[in-house]
Amino acid sequence: MKAKTRETLVAWGMVIPALLVISIIAFLPLFQTFYNSFFETGLRPDIEKEFVGFGNYVELFKDDRFQDALKNTIFFTVVSVILETIFGLLIAILVNQPFKMRGVVRAAMLIPWAIPTAISSQMWKWMFDPSSGILTKFLETLNIVEPGVPILAMPNSAMWAIIAVDVWKTTPFMALLILAGLQLIPEELYEAARIDGANIWQRFSKITLPMVQSTIGVALIFRTLDALRVFDVVFIMTRGSVNTETLAVYNRVLLMDRAFSGAWFGYGSALSVVIFMLISVFAVIYIRSLRIKLE
Amino acid sequence: MKKLLVVSLLLVLSLVAFSRVTITMTAGAVGTELSVLYEQLDKFMRANPDIKVSVMPMPNSSTERHDLYVTYLASGEKEPTILMLDVIWPAEFAPYLEDVTADKDYFELDKFIPGTVKSGTVNGKIVAVPWFTDAGILYYRKDLLDKYGFKNPPKTWDELVKMAQTITAKEKNMYGFVWQGARYEGLVCDFMEFLISFGGDVIDEAGNVVVNSKAGVNALQFMVDLIYKTKVSPQAVTTYMEEEARRTFQNGQAVFMRNWPYAWALVNDPKESKIAGKVGVAPLPAGPAGRSAATLGGWMLGINKNATDEEKAAAKKLVKFLTSYDQQLYKAINASQNPTMMDVYKDPELKKVAPFMVDLYGMFVNAEPRPRTAKYSEISDTMQKYIHAALTQQTTPQKAMEDMAKELTQVLAGR
Repeated sequence: MKAKTRETLVAWGMVIPALLVISIIAFLPLFQTFYNSFFETGLRPDIEKEFVGFGNYVELFKDDRFQDALKNTIFFTVVSVILETIFGLLIAILVNQPFKMRGVVRAAMLIPWAIPTAISSQMWKWMFDPSSGILTKFLETLNIVEPGVPILAMPNSAMWAIIAVDVWKTTPFMALLILAGLQLIPEELYEAARIDGANIWQRFSKITLPMVQSTIGVALIFRTLDALRVFDVVFIMTRGSVNTETLAVYNRVLLMDRAFSGAWFGYGSALSVVIFMLISVFAVIYIRSLRIKLE
Repeated sequence: MKKLLVVSLLLVLSLVAFSRVTITMTAGAVGTELSVLYEQLDKFMRANPDIKVSVMPMPNSSTERHDLYVTYLASGEKEPTILMLDVIWPAEFAPYLEDVTADKDYFELDKFIPGTVKSGTVNGKIVAVPWFTDAGILYYRKDLLDKYGFKNPPKTWDELVKMAQTITAKEKNMYGFVWQGARYEGLVCDFMEFLISFGGDVIDEAGNVVVNSKAGVNALQFMVDLIYKTKVSPQAVTTYMEEEARRTFQNGQAVFMRNWPYAWALVNDPKESKIAGKVGVAPLPAGPAGRSAATLGGWMLGINKNATDEEKAAAKKLVKFLTSYDQQLYKAINASQNPTMMDVYKDPELKKVAPFMVDLYGMFVNAEPRPRTAKYSEISDTMQKYIHAALTQQTTPQKAMEDMAKELTQVLAGR
């Protein structure tokens, strides 16, 4: 008994510094954002701080631009995460097979994910350039795009271009996580199934899928939460023009562009809180529906 | 006695050494701008050994510079000591900038182009000193105009369309007119030029939103037509900022380009440009209102209010040095950035190296300012949204102007 309390004490002693740091750098700003969201306030010294209760939230949900951004964000998240999961699973199964140079392929696969998003977005922006971009030329030769049409300035293609970049960049991450899950499946299961005469589809749907389900679940949570606060790829490629503005991009406008121009800081904080809530809701849904044990 | 002398000498020397002030300034790095600044600072520090200046290079995009400034100033830091400010920012940043109204004569602001001084004046207080000025100008291919028998650059927008159509019909891989149509600050600059030359305006003297006029709709319709009807501009202009337009033009793929003066040195650099020596510049064409208009751009120097008195004094010295006659001339010649001091335009050396600056002097003096208000970033954001929606055919010019006017009125009344 005594030994156990001492152990607990030591454990707390070791965790407390980390907890302290986290509360200062994560919880404190979070709390402050919550607090600010109930005020009409700006960073200009001559703006008086006024308590408005839930006023900012009410106004936010009446704001057309917010509604558009919400729709765009959800669309981006759903489409990109679905594509990334499908491609990630296929690639993971592929590189899980034994073949020559497998190690090299697995390492090379990670390159898109290793490049900072700011750089890869800029790279893709150039590839989408209407007059000299290699991708534009390619799509023009295939007659998918009319010559001279700027892909990134067209309302029906800009978001898809952004999704393409995100899928290219984060599929390797998905594949890597799922690959780790696949390697945990004992080979004996497949052997037994083969002896029982199960075909390839049955082996996939009855063994592989159920066994990697929780891994995919974790990967989905990571990706969805990331996608819901997408900022860099959108900001660099289109700056939120032609129906590509996401919540985080709109939030930058409120908190940076308008920081000194009017009382937008509280409003921007309210939007930050909404993004936070949205992410929490998605996380809870996932955890519930996939019955992932957090303990 | 001798000992005392040595000791006091040492004391004085160490005082001098320790009294060295360090100040920081933000600076752009477009073209040769930054290397020119380093040369100027070397000279300044040699003349003022008690001041050390360190430079914080800034991103090229003014939106990103703005973000950084918001962070610096909101945190109450004393650095950077000197801020390089876009002409549209002083009203917004004024609460954080040192009031230099009392130093008006020290900076010789009477000798500056009045419009640029006005940009740095907020509620009667001077908070920024004009460093270099900018105005939209028309670049054209002299060789192509000659080849097709056009003796002069276009005087009106209609002439520009006709010339461009004639030339692009015969030349391969050639666009007529490139400009800045991406959704960002530059789009507002280009739009203002069309708008004013068509006889419209955004906000009148009394502060009313007047953008939704017949002239306004016509101006926006004209811009849309450039892309889809007269087809003088490629659809890609809706993604162009300054550098994209310049690259297209200097690769020999466009007859006309709207840009700022900085492009002059670059499009005439044989190492970089395929059309060096074949370029002419002219004022932008006139619209139905019978006049042409150029948007006033350029950058100013402001001093951070949170700096110590000692740093502020040193900063004023540096601002005075950088905006002096000699340094403005040096900058104009080496970085093709336009002087803000009127007399510099009369300098024979400038006439030799950058004749267009002298020829277009009238354009720079009469350049049109964008709305001067602390709410400018909101106004600009709103304008960009609707202009770009019209340029990408998500809405009609008529509807765009109606909605823009409605939202601008809200912005001016709101928060």
